[in-house]
Order: sequence, then structure tokens, then C-alpha cells
Amino acid sequence: MERTPIIEMKGIVKVYPDGTKALKGVDLTVYEGEILGLLGENGAGKTTLMKTLFGMLHPTSGKILIRGKEVQFKSPSDAIAQGIGMVHQHFTLVEVFDALHNIILGMEGHGLFSKIDVDKAKERLQKLMDDLNFKVPLETPVEDLPVGVQQRIEILKMLYRDVDVLILDEPTAVLTPVEVEELFRVLRQLKEEGKTIIFISHKLNEVMDLTDRVTVIRKGEVVGTVNTSEATPQLLARMMVGRDVVLRIEKPPKEPGEPILRVENLKVRGDRGEVAVNGLSFDVRAGEIFGIAGVEGNGQTELIEAISGLRKVEEGKIYLQGKDITGKGPRELYDLGMAHVPEDRTHMGLILDMTVTENSLLGLHWRPDFQYVKGVINWNKAREHARSLIEQFDISAPGTEAPVKALSGGNQQKLIVAREVSKEPVFIIAAQPTRGVDVASTEYIRNYLVKLRNEGKAVLLVSADLDEVIQLSDRMGIIYEGEFMGVVKPEEVSTEEIGMMMGGIRYEEIRK
Amino acid sequence: MDAGSVISILITSLMAMVPIVLTSVGAAWSERAGVVSIGYEGVLLMSAFFGAIFAELAGSAVVGLLGGMLVGILLGMLHGALTVYLKGDHVIPGIGINLLAMGVVPFGILAYWGTAGQHQLPQDAQMWHLQTAYGDLSPMVFVTMAIALVTWWVLFKTPLGLRVRSVGENPEAADALGINVEKYRFWSAVYGHALAGLGGAFMSVDWLGLVHKTMSGGRGFIALANMVFSGWNPLVSLIGGWLFGFFDALAAWLAPKHIIPGQFILMLPYIMTLVIVAGIIGKARPPKADGKPYKRE
Amino acid sequence: MKRSGSELLKSINLRPFVESLIAILVGFIIGAIVLIAFGYNPFEAYYWLFHGALGSTYGIASTLKYATPIMLTALTFAIGTRTGIFNIGAESSFYFGAIAAVIFTNIWDNMVFGLVMGMLFGALWALPPAVLKVYRGVHEVISTIMLNWIGWFFVLWLIIGPYANPNDPNKTIRIPVDARLPEIGYGLSIAIVIAIVAAVLTYFLLWHTTTGFGMRASGMNQKAARYAGMNPKMAVMLSFLIGGLLSGLGGAMKIMGEGPGYAISQGGANIYGFGFDGIGVALVGRNHPLGIILSAIFFGMLRAGTALMQVRAQVPLEIIKVIQGIIVITVAIPSLYDLVKKALRRGAA
Repeated sequence: MERTPIIEMKGIVKVYPDGTKALKGVDLTVYEGEILGLLGENGAGKTTLMKTLFGMLHPTSGKILIRGKEVQFKSPSDAIAQGIGMVHQHFTLVEVFDALHNIILGMEGHGLFSKIDVDKAKERLQKLMDDLNFKVPLETPVEDLPVGVQQRIEILKMLYRDVDVLILDEPTAVLTPVEVEELFRVLRQLKEEGKTIIFISHKLNEVMDLTDRVTVIRKGEVVGTVNTSEATPQLLARMMVGRDVVLRIEKPPKEPGEPILRVENLKVRGDRGEVAVNGLSFDVRAGEIFGIAGVEGNGQTELIEAISGLRKVEEGKIYLQGKDITGKGPRELYDLGMAHVPEDRTHMGLILDMTVTENSLLGLHWRPDFQYVKGVINWNKAREHARSLIEQFDISAPGTEAPVKALSGGNQQKLIVAREVSKEPVFIIAAQPTRGVDVASTEYIRNYLVKLRNEGKAVLLVSADLDEVIQLSDRMGIIYEGEFMGVVKPEEVSTEEIGMMMGGIRYEEIRK
Repeated sequence: MDAGSVISILITSLMAMVPIVLTSVGAAWSERAGVVSIGYEGVLLMSAFFGAIFAELAGSAVVGLLGGMLVGILLGMLHGALTVYLKGDHVIPGIGINLLAMGVVPFGILAYWGTAGQHQLPQDAQMWHLQTAYGDLSPMVFVTMAIALVTWWVLFKTPLGLRVRSVGENPEAADALGINVEKYRFWSAVYGHALAGLGGAFMSVDWLGLVHKTMSGGRGFIALANMVFSGWNPLVSLIGGWLFGFFDALAAWLAPKHIIPGQFILMLPYIMTLVIVAGIIGKARPPKADGKPYKRE
Repeated sequence: MKRSGSELLKSINLRPFVESLIAILVGFIIGAIVLIAFGYNPFEAYYWLFHGALGSTYGIASTLKYATPIMLTALTFAIGTRTGIFNIGAESSFYFGAIAAVIFTNIWDNMVFGLVMGMLFGALWALPPAVLKVYRGVHEVISTIMLNWIGWFFVLWLIIGPYANPNDPNKTIRIPVDARLPEIGYGLSIAIVIAIVAAVLTYFLLWHTTTGFGMRASGMNQKAARYAGMNPKMAVMLSFLIGGLLSGLGGAMKIMGEGPGYAISQGGANIYGFGFDGIGVALVGRNHPLGIILSAIFFGMLRAGTALMQVRAQVPLEIIKVIQGIIVITVAIPSLYDLVKKALRRGAA
């Protein structure tokens, strides 16, 4: 392999306006014609780093060199002009346009006022697609196309711009195994044609399978770079997670009690009408943390929403303490002893423009303790409540009457946990409880979940952070396309086995 | 109803169509780019007034039409600056513009010509009309048709139009491909208001030959109804605009005959628009990012 | 954390108040420039304007009289904004309140009955946009514009058709004497008191009840509201209905409380435009019911002062609309406060 660096990033630092240090001086070298894996956990800074390379974010300090020349990108189009293209996790497609117009947008050719030469563009695209054996329907509005096809359109959009470097951010997260195979084939072919590919992932096997070299990032810093041929999944895993186990969770053994939540044969549809949860059955017992692990988008969101009364149940039953709660709304469920730390902190868990007091009252406001007479809120009581949450959970806030958006992410999350716990539930859903939360708050929240378990509550933990699920759970279900590939005790299986289940292989088959 | 009155209604409705269609076409373009405005009522009124002043000063109706457009351009820039660059709300400035027009025009008529509420334009400031046995027809009728056609063609067939629609549907996607969202949105707002300005001046220097303090008569809002009715399509809004004009003329023709109260005829186009947006017949879907400020992260 | 008093004080945000004052100032300054451009003396004009509005008991009474209808239509708009909707349908609910008062007081000449029917019909007319919004996702700006027109033509037909006064076909039949609102004095009826009570009740509803909490939460974040067990659909419905009710009340009181006619006048001239003016009032009052009381009185003052201004300074009364328009455009400037602060600092340096 020729060793000409095409991209050099030197000492990249990115500090967000809220003070979060996402990148702490990252050096990265990419050689022409290679597939480089960028490996790291959720929140390690992979996407941030690539967004600075693509001109979407401006580094606080540091240098970017393309083919040895320093560049400063004001916007993605500058990066594209230099031959760098990126396919995001969330697609940027105009949904009402067809693939053709999405692809040619911005480089339609000729003058602004002349007729778009659709035939010529189609011809060129057809050739591109034929060469790669990578087809998309060109004249269907993209909103009518499946996600996998939309991703192809995004890739073609970049290739149509003759980029030399293609960055893909967690591209397999939304794909079926067959589609993943197809994607890898295309990426390998592109490499043969001389393109350079940066592949962002947190999946060891994919990185092992596809890449030439791997750079591992942890907490905004490069841990190291290895040649894939010399690496093992164990080595990469250790680099990714870090030698020191960061968080210590004390979890005394405990015999679980009665089932609190029981889910029977649950079927739920997703936003696009697809079956997202497919006949799931499990229970969560008192004094137990039941974890759900899996790649995001395998039905976790729909499952949580169905249990918490936010999404329609298609088939099956849900019981709380033996009582049928299928189809009940959130308010009734809270009254019956459920609490819910939602996965989307800023869009669901909190109302950012409301005050700390108002937020700490969400879902509690109809309780008689917070009312003078029925329907009239006692704000003095509410403020007292907010103050006690702040004190009890050591939340750093400018005051109870400050808007909640003034709080840091970690403190916002602690406020949600505090509020939900104050509902005195028998069953609590904790969805991505520590996502985007600082280390100290993470430790606090995890220990608190264990405390709830020790007090005899039933906890349903759903997290994309596999370590979190393994560390906290008494039992865990590994979900894949809306079904459990296995329900196991974390200490009885290896990480590899969990990884295989996350990839769609059933536990029975693995143990065979 | 004899053939003569039919033709006469048709001709009246063609004239009545002009300001509505011009405004609808402009509003459709602007909303396709994601900029909503409800200030067209005020734009029509103010450009009718200032257009008349321009026409009188120059002794030319064409200068009046251009002057009306200039007023539209300036108001469009004001609206664009507030909504596109300062990321403000899209509806509120229009309310201000409408209020302003309701003050500026009656005040201006009184202060400039010294007459209360209404001013008749001298002959040299009025547009030349095609005389027919059934009523006058202005060349602006054909200009309007041409504008609707060309705007439609540019919007749906050219790179410019593709980009305009992309910033109204998904500004993130457009931005990622190097399309300057703010620039496209700002000038789209300007174009939209400029066409309304032309329509306003048409009313004073061409169609009616006078300025009246309430002469916009809700046409700015009618045009918005027509824009929705026409599915944000400039070419369809030509038909929609003519329908609105036709009902207007029909109601006027029916009024003295006491068959159906004119008000019920006048209501029809609004009811139809409501039925269409409600999806009861057909469908109307606004651009996805219509009225939403775009901020880069 | 024991400083609840000072904490509360700190939470009172003066910024919106200051922004409105800046906008009003800008309105008067630009108004003065326009006056000078046309050869009028702005000092003289403004002097008589304020003198006319506040210089006599009669002036104050007319200020409050003019403040009444726009206070109520402004509340309609504000309650919509607080629940996340852009309800510009106050205009037509106002028509229905007015015509309902005319119709029903002539069936039973009872004041309370007239007001209730006005509110009821104002609310009923707000039902279609509410239903269309909640069940079909129709944007309320579009639906309320359409319904304003439909309502206008319908009420216009009632005015000149079935409910025209046979003795004076230009007007509707009158509100019977027994159903009229009692006068406080100088042409001012108790309508102003009812309007202020309505504003205070609206404030109480939005900020001190669970229903209002749900409405405001839905207005800011529907997803979070649903998660918290609130009902955003219900919030939108309520917002439209309460809004329609308030404007309907405004329309009814406009006719039942303003002599000497106590009827809707020719072509609906005395019921037209209050909904649109109310939007301006709401914006300047920062969509807060208590702010709206102040801003409605301010707008009423402008209106009340024009008569004297026109007579004494010979300034056309329309200058007031110019000033109002400038004020509304100025409040539409985002983060006006910061812009002005920055400009002042630059000026000082």
C-alpha cells in the first residue's frame, strides 16, 4: 500500500459553546486508498471529529491538511470541493424529490435559469450505478423508499460529486445483514478504484471485517492506531473501553421477588407502519434490573413507548402488578406506580423553556399534594419539591425559577431521574439513562438505579451502552429486529456471545 | 343570462384575477423557499398608493407599475431581514405591515393629495386598455399569465427552482450541498413581495384608475387562500385566481337580482379552499420547512 | 437554597417589558419623522394626542372604551400562542359574538343571556379550525383566514338581510334597553371591568391551574406534554374554544355596551378589524394577559386621543395606525433588547 497521507488532522480541539470538551487534541492521518476504521463508544467524539473534517463544525483549535496543504472549511461544500464527502447517520435528503434530483441538487450544470438536463444527469448516474452494481430507483420520491435505499442515494450523491474520500457515520446501524454485506462489497470496490474511506463504527466485527487500519478514540482522545491485520477484537475492545474500568458499581447479590411488569406476546408497529416489536414476552421482577441490549433501532424505542402508554399496542398484553395496563395512558400508569426516564431528554423528558420548578412537576402536577383545591396548582409546594430534588440529587442549578435549559446535560438528566423517583414508583423504565452525561453524573445515576433495585423496585434498563447493561443488569434480553435473541444473566455469557446475539444469532444456536 | 353578460363577467374576472394571481404566484415562490408572509394585504395597499404617486410624477403608468414593484421589493427585504437573517417569526411582521398600510395609505392620500380616502388618477397616469364591447382589458392580463407561466417553469424545471424548493423542504440538505439557504430564502421573499407590489400598482394605475384607502379589499388574504388552493403551484394559481375573480364578478352580477345573496357566492371559494386543505377532496401539503427559521448547528 | 423570595424576584423578567417600551418609542419616533415629512408638527400632534386621551375624565373613559374589545381579542391570540398555535380567528369570532348578542337579546332581553350567547357563538365559530387542526393537521393560519372570510360574508348577510332594522336598513335591529350593559359614565360601560376580569381569569387559568399548565406545556413541547400525561389535543381544542369565547364576549359587549346605536352599523363597520388589532395588542403585551391589559389601554389611548389631535393639530387620525404598525414590526425583531443594548454600548464607547 502506498503511504501518501491524503488527510492529516493535527491537534484538533473542539469545545462546544456549553463548555463540553468533545475533542481534546486529536491527531489523525488517513492514507490514500485505504479503508480506515474510526472506532469508539457512543459519545467518544468520532462524529464530532468527522464533522470538523467535513466543514460542518469548526475546530476550536488545530490544523487540517489535505494532500499536505492546510485548509479551512467554512461549510460542507468547501469540503466537497476538496474531494471529501460524508454520509451522515441522519440522512439529509429532500423527501419530496426523487433520487435523481436529490443527487444533482447544487450541481445541476449550466446556468441557473436554463432547463435542467435530466437525461444527461440520468445517463451519468446510470453509468455510476452500473459500474458499482449499486442500484436505486431514480424517479420515486425518496420518502417512499426504504432506509437502506435512502442511504445508497446519499452515497451516490457524494460519488456523483467525484469525492476521493468518503466518510460514513455508523452506516450499518440502519441496515439489514444482507444490506450490510452489499454495502461492504461496494465499499471494497470503491477502495479498489482508488477511493479512500473512513468508516465510523462501534462494532468490532465490522471494523475487523472491512478496514485496513483502525484508529480508536475514547473520550475525545486518540487511544491508538493499529493495522487491522495485526489486531484482534479483544485488543480493539480493550482500547475502546479503556484499561481502567471507569466506574465501580457495587451490586450486592439479591434474590428477585414477584414479577412486577409482565409483557406477553407484544407486537408494536413503528412510525412507518413496520413491525418494530415482534411478539416479545418477558417480565421484570421486584428487586431486579432487567436490561435490554441491542443495536439502536431494533425496536427498543417502540417497546418503551408501548409500555409507557405512548404508543399503540398492536397485539399482546402488558401487566403491571398483575393488572392489565394495555392501552392505558401515561397518567393512569403513573398513578399505578410506573415511572419513566425517557431516552430523549430534551424533547421528551423536559420542557427546556420551562423553569426547574415547572419541570420537576411534570407528571406530578395532578397529585393532591401539589394543589390547593382540585385543579389549582400550589406553586409554593412545587418550589419546595424542586428544591428538595436539587438538594437530594446534588443538582447544580442557578435556582428553582431558572429555565431548565440553563442546566448542563448531566444535571438535566439528574433532574429527570430525581423527578421520576419522586413519583415513588414500583416499576421504573430507564432508557439511555446516562447518554451524553458526564462521568460523575453517570456514576451517580447508575448507582441510584442499583439502589432502587436494592429497595425492591423493578427496573427496566434500555441502553445502547453495552457495558452499562452488562454491569447493571441482573438479567438481560438481547433484542434484534423486535425479538429477543436470548435472555441471559450477564455473568453467564461472554461479550462475544452478546455481540453475536446483537447481530441476530439466537442464543440456542450459539450454544449448540 | 345572455351571452353578452357572460363575456362581460369573464372579462371582469380576468381583470380581477391580476392582483390575486400575481400575489399568489409570488407567495407560492416565497413559501416554496420556506418564507411565509401574511403581509401581502399591506403590500398591495401600499404599492397601489405609492405606484399611483410614481405614475403621476412620471406621467406614465408603466413607471407606476415599476414603482409599485419597488415598494414590494423594499417590504420584501424588510420581511426577509426579519425572518431569514434575524430568524424571527414569519407571521408577525406581516401583521405589522398590514397595520402600517392601513395607516400610511389613508394618511398619505390626505397628506399628499389633500382628499379624504380616495383620489382619482389623471389620464396620463393610467394604463392603456384594450377596448372591447364588453369592457376593458389591460395588457397586464397577459403579462400576468406570462409571469405565472415563467415562474412555474423556473420553479420546476431549472436549477434555480430546484434549489429554491430544496431550501423550503430541507434546508439542512441544501446547506450540506453548498446552497446558501439564507440567500435563496431572502431573495425568494423579495421576489414574492415584488410581485404583490406589481399587483397592487396594477389596481391603482391600471384597473381602477384611482387610489382608495381600502382598495386592497382583502385580496392579499384571498391570494394566500388561492396559493393553498392551488397547491403552491404558480400555474395552477392562474386558474384558482381566475375562479376567485369569477366568483367575485358573479356575485356582483347576481347582487341586484336577489336570487342568491351575493355573500353566499363570495363565500364559496373560501369554503372550497378549506375543503381542499382539510384533505376532504384532493390534498394540499405545504413545503416541509415552510415558515421555519433555519439555523446551522 | 433558602432565598425563595429573592429567587422569585430574580425570576421576574423585565426584558419583554423593556422591549415593548423600546418598540413604542421607535413607533413614536418614526411617526414623528413621517409627520415632519408631511409638514406637521409632531410635538403639537403628540401633545394633543395624549391630552385627548388622558387630559379629561371623558378622555380616560374613551381610552378605556376603546381598550375593551381589543383587550379581549388580544387574549384570544395570546392564549393561542401560549398553547403553540397561531390563532388569527379572533376577528370572525368577534363578528359572531356581536350578531349573536343582537339576535338573542331580541328573543329574551336579558343582559347575561346576551353575553353568554355571544361567548357561545364565538366559541362555536372557533370549533372548525380546532377540529381541523387536531384531526386533520390543517395549519390554523390558513383555516382561520378562510373562516374569517366565510364568517364575514355570513354575518354581513345577517346584518343586511334577516336582522336589518326595518326603520333604518343600514343597521341591524337594536339591543333592547333592558339587555344593554350599564354605563359607568361618559359613554363607558361595565364592559371594561368584565374585560379586565377576563384577562385576570385567563392569567389564572394559564399559570395557576393544572389545565393551564398542560396547555402551556403542550404549547412548548407536545411530546413532553404527552409523556407527562397531559393531553395536547385537548389543550389545542381548549385554546381555540376559550379564545373564541373571549372574542365572542368582546363582540357582544361591543354592541351591548356602546351607545347610542346599540346595533351593528352599516356594512359591519363597527365590528370589523378588532381581531387584527388585537394581534398587535397581544404582541406588544408579550402574550401575557396582564401585559395585555396595559397594552390594550395603551392602544385605546392612541385611539381615544386622535379626535382631539385631528381637531387641534389638524393631523389625520390615520397616523396612529402608522405608529401601531411600526410598533408591531419593531416587536417582531428578535432579541431587540440585545440589539439595542449593543447599539447603546457602542454609542457610549
